[in-house]
Amino acid sequence: MSDSRIHEALFNPTLSRRELLREAARWGISVPAALSLLGSGSGHVLADHEQRSNLLLNFVVWSYGVSTIQSNIKQFEKRYPGTEVNLTDFSWLNYHDTMVTRFVGKTPTDVCYSSDHWLQEWAAAGWLEPLDTYFPAVKQYKSDFFPYVTAGMTYNRHLYGLPYYADTWAFMYNDHILKKAGFHAPPRTWAELTHQAQVIQKKKLSDHPLILLFAQSDPGSIEVWMSMVYSQQNGHLFDSHLNPVFDKKGSAAMATVQWITDSLNKTKILDPSSLTAAEIPVVKAMQAGSSVFTILETYNLAELNAPGTSKLSGQFRMGLMPNSHHTVGYVRFYAMTSQLPSRGKEVLADGWKFLNYFGGRINGRYPVVERWAVQNGLGFGERSLWNNAAIDRAFNKWGNVGILRKNQEYARIKEGLTKYYPRWDVFSRGELQHAYLGQESPAAALSKMADKWRSLKNGGS
Amino acid sequence: MVVSAVSRRSRASVRMGRLGPYGALLPTLIIIGLFSLYPLGYAVYLSLHEYVLTNPFGHPFTGLQNVQEVIGEDYFRASLTATAIYTVMAVPMIVVVGLLAALLLNTKLRIASFLRVVIVLPWAIPSVVAGILWQWLFSDNYGVINDLLYTAGVIHHYIPWLSQPNTARLALAVAQLWKELPFATIFFLAGLQTIPPGIVDAAVIDGASPFRVFWHIIVPLLRPVALVVLVYETVLAITTFDLIFIMTGGGPANATGVLSWYAYQETFTFLNLGHGAALSFIIAVLMLVLILGYLRLLRSEDLYTEGT
Repeated sequence: MSDSRIHEALFNPTLSRRELLREAARWGISVPAALSLLGSGSGHVLADHEQRSNLLLNFVVWSYGVSTIQSNIKQFEKRYPGTEVNLTDFSWLNYHDTMVTRFVGKTPTDVCYSSDHWLQEWAAAGWLEPLDTYFPAVKQYKSDFFPYVTAGMTYNRHLYGLPYYADTWAFMYNDHILKKAGFHAPPRTWAELTHQAQVIQKKKLSDHPLILLFAQSDPGSIEVWMSMVYSQQNGHLFDSHLNPVFDKKGSAAMATVQWITDSLNKTKILDPSSLTAAEIPVVKAMQAGSSVFTILETYNLAELNAPGTSKLSGQFRMGLMPNSHHTVGYVRFYAMTSQLPSRGKEVLADGWKFLNYFGGRINGRYPVVERWAVQNGLGFGERSLWNNAAIDRAFNKWGNVGILRKNQEYARIKEGLTKYYPRWDVFSRGELQHAYLGQESPAAALSKMADKWRSLKNGGS
Repeated sequence: MVVSAVSRRSRASVRMGRLGPYGALLPTLIIIGLFSLYPLGYAVYLSLHEYVLTNPFGHPFTGLQNVQEVIGEDYFRASLTATAIYTVMAVPMIVVVGLLAALLLNTKLRIASFLRVVIVLPWAIPSVVAGILWQWLFSDNYGVINDLLYTAGVIHHYIPWLSQPNTARLALAVAQLWKELPFATIFFLAGLQTIPPGIVDAAVIDGASPFRVFWHIIVPLLRPVALVVLVYETVLAITTFDLIFIMTGGGPANATGVLSWYAYQETFTFLNLGHGAALSFIIAVLMLVLILGYLRLLRSEDLYTEGT
C-alpha cells in the first residue's frame, strides 16, 4: 500500500469515524495517533449533512520563485478543495529576523520555510513543532534522505520538517576563460587555484579571477567559509563534544583563513568586492565575465547556464571542491509552527496534507520537489530522485549529473548547529572579515571566535 | 433656596471651567501615554530583566546587568568607535555644505531660485531608496562613481568603496550628506534671511571684506540656527540605521556597525531584548551628553544680551 493511499484515506473528509479508525489500524497507524487526529470527541470527520467551509493555512516563505510557489499552491488547492493557502514572502536576507518578530508577535503563521541553521534556535523557543509527534507517517521518509538532510531537520531526536530543497556548496568556474588561459581542467588543490588565477591575471583575462560570497550580512558567507574548511583534508571545526578545534595551530580553519587573506591582500586573486558580495552580485560577476572561479549553491549553476541569461551562459562548469572535495550540505525545509496544532484537528489535518503535498510523496512521486529540480535546478534531499529520468535530463542540460551526485555524497552538515549557533555565526562573520582585511591575524580572529563559542556554550552572551 | 441653587450651579460651572482644559487635553495625553510613555516604561522594564526570545520561559530581574554586559562586549567598544568616526565625518560635512548651499541660495543669481527647488528633492526620497541608490553609485564593480573617476583619469583601478572600512564610512557619510543637505540648507537659509541687511551694509561701508563680513557678522548671528542643525544632525548620525542596513549591513568587518546597528542586532538577530533596550538607553544618554555639550559651547543667549 503506497503512502499516498494512507494519507488519502486518513484525510478524506468523507470517511466516517469508524471507517477512519479501521483504515488507520489496517495500515499500522496506532490507535492513539489516529485518535489524536480525530480529537477527543467530535474529531475532524464531518457528518454527511455538514458543509465544509474553506480553512485557511498561512504559509510564509522567502522570496525565491514566488510565482512557482503560487502555482504549486493552486495545484494543492485544486487537489484539496476546502483548503485555502495564504502566501506571504520576505527577502532571504531579512527572513530570520522577520520570522522571529512574527513568532513573538503571534502573527498567523502555520507553515513556513525554515533552515537547518535556525532549527535549534526556533525549536528550543517552542516556535516550531516536531512533525513526527503529530504525523507519525512522516517517519517513512527518513530512509530516503541523505544523512546531512536528516541531521539538518532533527532536533532532540525529532524530525521537524520535510525538505523544500537540499543542496551543497559547489566549486564553479568559467570553462571558456580557463581554456583561454591554457588550462583544461579545474584546479584540484587550493594552491593550484592560486596558480591558475595568477596566470589568468597575467593574461589580462580577469583582474580578480576569484569572487566569493563573503557579505557580512549574508548567512551564506559562513557556509562558504565552512565548505572551504571541510575541503582542507576533511577539516573539522569542533570535536565530538562541540569544543572548538578550529583555533588550534595548523587547523584546517587556520589554513583556510590564511589562504583567503593572502588571496585578498598578497596575490590579489580574490575580488575585494567579495566582502560585500551576496549571492546575486556574485552570480552577476560570473555572468559578466569579471570573475572566473567561485563557490555557490549548486542551483546557481542552472541560472548561470540558462540560455539567454547572459552572453556567457553555457560556459560554466562545476568541479569538486579542491583538495579533499568535502563540502557543506544544507537543507531548507517546510516546518510546522506551534500555532498550527492549536488551531484544531481539522486545520492540523490540512496542515499535514499541505506538508505532505509540498515535501512528500503523492502517488509515489515527489511532485513539488521534482518540479523545483526540473524547473529551477534546485537540489533535493531524497536519494531516490537521482533515479528520476526527468531530473536527470534537466540537470544534464546545465550540469554534469555525475559530479552533482558526487558532490552530494561528499557533503556534510554544518558543524555546531545549536541554539546559540546563530549568534556565533553573526559574530564570526565580522571576525573573519577582520582577518581577511589584515586588521588582525587569522590566529587572533579564530581565537576570538573560539572564545565566543565557549562563552555561548556556557550560557554567556 | 433660590440663592443656594444658583450658588451651587455657579460652583459647578467654576469646577467645570477648571476641569475643562484637562478634559480637552485628555485625548492627547492618552495618545502620548500610549505611544510614548508606555513604550518607554516597557523599555525600562526590558533593560532591567533577562529577556531572550529563544528562552521564553523565564525573565528574571537582573538590574543593571544588561548594561554591564553590553558595555563589556568587544562589539560595544567597536561600535562606539564606529559611531564616533561616522558622526565626526558626516555632521561637519552637512553643516559646512549646508551653509555654503544656503549662502548660494541667498544670492540674487537666477539659478538660485531653480536650486531652491532641486535641493529639496533628496528630502522627498525615502531613506531606503536613497540607500539603494548610493549602494549602486558606490558599487565596487559597476558603480557610476568609479566609472566617472576612471574615465576622467583620476583613478587607474576601480575603488572597492564599500569593501574597505574607511571608504565604506566615507560612502555612508556622503549618502547621509545628500539625504540631510535639504534640512541644513533650509535652516541656514531661513537664518540668513533674518539677518538685518543694515548690519551687513554698515560693515561693507566700513570697509570689511566679504570674508570678514561672513566670519564676524553672519556666522555669529547664525549660531542659534547652527545649534539646531548640529544637534539634529548629530542625533541623526548617531541613530542612523536605514542607510547602514541597505548599503553595508554593518560591514566590512563591523566598520559601519554603529551603536544603533548593534542595538538592532542585539534585539532582532541575537533576540536579546534586554540587551537591545539597555543599548537604547545608552544611546539616549550619549545623545543627551552631546546635546548639553553643544548647548554650552554654542550659548546663543549671549548674542542678544551683549551691549544691552
